[in-house]
Amino acid sequence: MDFLTKVYEFFISIVTNFSDAFYLNFIKDNRWKYLVNGLGVTLRVTLFAVLIGVAIGFVVAIIRSTHDKTGKLKILNFLANVYLTVIRGTPVVVQLLIIYFIIFGSVRIDKVFVAVIAFGINSGAYVAEIVRSGIMSIDPGQMEAGRSLGFNYIQTMFYIIVPQAFKNVLPALGNEFIVLLKETSVAGYIALEDLTKGGDIIRSQTYSAFFPLLTVALIYLAIVMFLSFLLKKLERRLRNNER
Amino acid sequence: MNDNALIKVQDLKKHYGDVYALDGINIEINKGDVVFVVGPSGSGKSTFLRCLNRLEEPTSGSIYFEGTDITDKKSDINVHRQKMGMVFQQFNLFPHMTVMKNLILGPTKLQKVPKEQAIKEATALLERVGLADRANAYPNQLSGGQKQRIAIVRALCMKPDVMLFDEPTSALDPEMVNEVLEVMRELAKENMTMVVVTHEIAFAREIANRVIFMADGKIEEEAEVNEFFEKPKSERLKAFLDKVL
Repeated sequence: MDFLTKVYEFFISIVTNFSDAFYLNFIKDNRWKYLVNGLGVTLRVTLFAVLIGVAIGFVVAIIRSTHDKTGKLKILNFLANVYLTVIRGTPVVVQLLIIYFIIFGSVRIDKVFVAVIAFGINSGAYVAEIVRSGIMSIDPGQMEAGRSLGFNYIQTMFYIIVPQAFKNVLPALGNEFIVLLKETSVAGYIALEDLTKGGDIIRSQTYSAFFPLLTVALIYLAIVMFLSFLLKKLERRLRNNER
Repeated sequence: MNDNALIKVQDLKKHYGDVYALDGINIEINKGDVVFVVGPSGSGKSTFLRCLNRLEEPTSGSIYFEGTDITDKKSDINVHRQKMGMVFQQFNLFPHMTVMKNLILGPTKLQKVPKEQAIKEATALLERVGLADRANAYPNQLSGGQKQRIAIVRALCMKPDVMLFDEPTSALDPEMVNEVLEVMRELAKENMTMVVVTHEIAFAREIANRVIFMADGKIEEEAEVNEFFEKPKSERLKAFLDKVL
């Protein structure tokens, strides 16, 4: 009997601790708002950084593959190479700090905007290499067929090459977006209150790390799983077209 | 210059480093001509054909198409290519588009043909090659012979003045060759100007009016079709015909 009582008390204590901790970390002083607002910032930064990254990535990829295939655009290709080398050769946190404290150092500016620019420029370099590999994998006969109809180089790229390349690299692109979402977690370095920073603020107020940090991790995990699910669906739909 | 000449090639050369793929080609192709280009592998016949619409950039020489020198950097090759249909050995259909989209892409985007009209014209051509029921299929759902017929129709949708065929049956299974040749036969009957690079010598005899025999980047012999096969002059052509006929 003594033993069962102990088990019971132990169980109760866990439940009580759990609800106390839950109350302390999320309910008291409306601390849950740090997570919700932080999540909003994270999603906004990721979304706009993805758009900028894709735009930069496609332009750089087209410049580089045009140079690889035809030998033209030497200067643009050189600039693109410098961009890729610098961005891929330095840590994203350092790039973020440089953009915030040096490039925008003398002006008051929205931190979300700075993060979008920094992560967008960073992501563009990786997207560019993914898209370039996709463009190079398309049979040269496709370019010839497009040109033989009378399309110019850019039109052929736009109507014929890039759509096929996009389909081929979609899994890799999706992966890049997922990486980007997680990478924005370093935005706290410029004191931007994103999801990670939100969880960390709660930790510093309540002196309990367990709940806020695990919750943050779970939220990231849930978003990533959801994105993976969407990507798989999209991929399947694009493939069905060809059968 | 002959008024009827649709294409006039003058001293066309193409080098790859020290290798002469084309070494001084001179030829006139008239409206309504069906010119077959034959010769051993590596003789430069595909290179010659691909130079005609500058898919291959000539090293020197001139190509006049409808009176314009299209090797001149000032001429817009993209405009001239719309009038030169090209059919490839490997079909090169666009796999991400349905058959119909393959067909109307050029007319709607380049010639600003309204979509409904482009579809109507493409459907009429599809019916003529017996593939009207495949308009909504994707290229990967088609057989090789069907793909090549669609590729021919895609070129025809641009209403070209000449059709260039680069070994159109070489990538096909034997039982599918005939359906493609049938379409080409029809085209020849309608007086389409055609330049055909092929290994189908018997077919050349049937529909060509002129035949060119190429060897080592040069035109070794060029003649009207009967003369070409009945009275070959050069020893190399005689040897070639002995082997292939």
